Amino acid sequence: MPLVMVVDDDQDLAEMLGIVLNGSGFEVDLVNSGDGVMEIFRANVPDLVLLDVMLPGIDGIEVCRLIRQESMVPIVMLTAKGDTHDVVLGLEAGADDYMVKPFNPSELVARLKVRLRRTGSDTVTSLRIGDLAVDQVAHTIARDGKSIPLTRLEFDLLVALAKEPGRVFTREALLSEVWGYQHATDTRLVNVHIQRLRSKIERDADNPELILTVRGVGYKAGSAGTSEK
Amino acid sequence: MNRLLRSWRTSILVRVTAITIILSAVLILVVGSLLSSQISNGVFREKMSASISEADSLSNYSQGQLDSTIYRADLKLQTVIDNIFHVEDVNANVIQREVILLPTPKASLKSNMYQGSSNFLDFSIIDSKFREQVRAHATAQSKYLTIKYLNGLHVNGIVVGSTITIPKDMVYEIYYLFPLTQQQQLIGLIDALLWISGAVLIFLIALITWYVTGRIVRPVREAAEIAEELTAGDLGRRLAIRGEDELGRLAIAFNEMAVSLQQQISRLENLSRLQQRFVSDVSHELRTPLTTIRMASQVLFDARHNLDPASARSSELLIAQIERFETLLTDLLEVSRFDARAAILEMREVDISILVRQVADQLHAPGDLRVDAPASPVNSHVDPRRIERILRNLISNAIDHSEGKGVVIRVAESDHEVSVGVRDYGIGFSEREGERLFDRFWRADPSRSRLRGGTGLGLAIALEDAQLHEGTLKAWGRPGLGAHFVLTLPKSPGIPLSSEPIPVIPQDAPSTALFEIDTDDI
Repeated sequence: MPLVMVVDDDQDLAEMLGIVLNGSGFEVDLVNSGDGVMEIFRANVPDLVLLDVMLPGIDGIEVCRLIRQESMVPIVMLTAKGDTHDVVLGLEAGADDYMVKPFNPSELVARLKVRLRRTGSDTVTSLRIGDLAVDQVAHTIARDGKSIPLTRLEFDLLVALAKEPGRVFTREALLSEVWGYQHATDTRLVNVHIQRLRSKIERDADNPELILTVRGVGYKAGSAGTSEK
Repeated sequence: MNRLLRSWRTSILVRVTAITIILSAVLILVVGSLLSSQISNGVFREKMSASISEADSLSNYSQGQLDSTIYRADLKLQTVIDNIFHVEDVNANVIQREVILLPTPKASLKSNMYQGSSNFLDFSIIDSKFREQVRAHATAQSKYLTIKYLNGLHVNGIVVGSTITIPKDMVYEIYYLFPLTQQQQLIGLIDALLWISGAVLIFLIALITWYVTGRIVRPVREAAEIAEELTAGDLGRRLAIRGEDELGRLAIAFNEMAVSLQQQISRLENLSRLQQRFVSDVSHELRTPLTTIRMASQVLFDARHNLDPASARSSELLIAQIERFETLLTDLLEVSRFDARAAILEMREVDISILVRQVADQLHAPGDLRVDAPASPVNSHVDPRRIERILRNLISNAIDHSEGKGVVIRVAESDHEVSVGVRDYGIGFSEREGERLFDRFWRADPSRSRLRGGTGLGLAIALEDAQLHEGTLKAWGRPGLGAHFVLTLPKSPGIPLSSEPIPVIPQDAPSTALFEIDTDDI
């Protein structure tokens, strides 16, 4: 059973999340404060972190940053604010996705499952995008034999683009393919993660060559040297 | 010309200065003309009397000389007459006087022998009427005339005529002609001086008026500018206070007004900010427990088959009401965001037709729902989330109120605008209802709206969203004949609407008793 670490100061909500997630086949680790969260994280490495933005002590965004420093584990933020500012801050700190309270529990479960989903059962097991080697089995990418750490979401995003070189993906298409959204118009998720991905894999993030922006439409994999093996 | 007219209308300074120039010019013209004519009259009169006395003495002297020739052998008559004609040439340029000697008409041919003049003069300038006048009077007669030389030179002058007797008993008329050249030059000089000083005076008056008016107008203009800036929202602006006169008092009073205005506004702003903060905080604070409640109810709902019928039904009601509560909370938060002016547009280029079709498909309308959109994409820069929300609201409203008589959604565009019209043929609304249509928490028919769980904030939010795009949302309706809601947006932000691709009064509207709700007034 996948282990979900729930970080939330509201004990009742945390307990309720525990009940719902347990009922949906997750193992749950409850943490009630931002302080000391890293010790628990290291002691019992979870498969996914569910993190409330509003926490006493260090706030959720800071916790997110701390976790990202040492792990590529999927992080989903819980926020009471749908406001641009907090959402973007959270995403920039390394969160893969966010849920706005009050959320539908079945939607939460669905979203967590997408984040834990293993991609790569396809026939194509090895991809190249530019000078990057993408190994879909090991979930790693490497440039000149040196591996570049990516979060699973970033990996999925890169693979989605690289699998169909030349195809222009709209943000909505990426939201549905990578995040599993059906009717979503919050394209900030895509924008922020494309930026994060670029900063990791592009030689110059300001002049991207691997992930190109198609103005007014979306994104596509750079044609420079992209090929399938 | 237009600019002149404009500054005439808009600037006191220009107007006052112009009026001053015109009035002082008229005044100087009148005074100058009067002065000039007085001066020239005086000068000419003076010359006239001088001429008369000079002519008198000359003719008396000549008469005496002529009379003496009878007794004195040494005095030849011809010499005396030559002397009469001899004009002392004091200055070659200035003719002192001319003399004409004419015989009286009744004199005999023989007595014409002394006729003559001091220069080559045209004798005809002395008309017969004046000659008769001279002959009729014993004293010297005078008048103005033009002295004409035979070489064509014309000079204004004075003629003084009298009679003279040449021995023996030959009566001649003697005319002394005095040119007025000097006087005319003098008067010309005086006139020129008058007009030049008049012009200088006008210029100086204009300058003074400009300066003085400017000194008074400048603080007024500053006050106007600062008042405009205050109106525009820059509440920190103040007038500079100079002196303790009326203008100084104006500045002080103005500043006091601005201070009290600023205090009032900031007090109100604080209040409303506090209130908005409160609404926003409440909404946020409610969300965490609501999340817990929602999950709990979902667990109960999922397990309702194991519960007794009453508990099972309760769990159903619970989950439905929580959903409603949640929608209300979301709407309330959105409204508080509008009130706090914290709503931000996230613009993207989208095809409005596709957006309309997506929303229509999602709503799965029972009955007849028709979308009538151009074949080519209607691309616009909008916040798709907000536009989708407006469309969802309008279309679901139309479906709710159509009574199954069908809904027609039309998309139309012009160069810079795009309109979406949502028309239904259901219950419509009355004028009185229409006035409150966009009010918060207002429902035309509560039982009906609740069918779809409307919060009563939908149209209010839709209107705010439309206005955030600098667009309009208008409504038309008639009881029993349906309603028509038209959303019009600029294709790119910042361009004011100049046309409405779809007019709010539908084409199929009955021609009588129309009314529309113009949300611009709300």
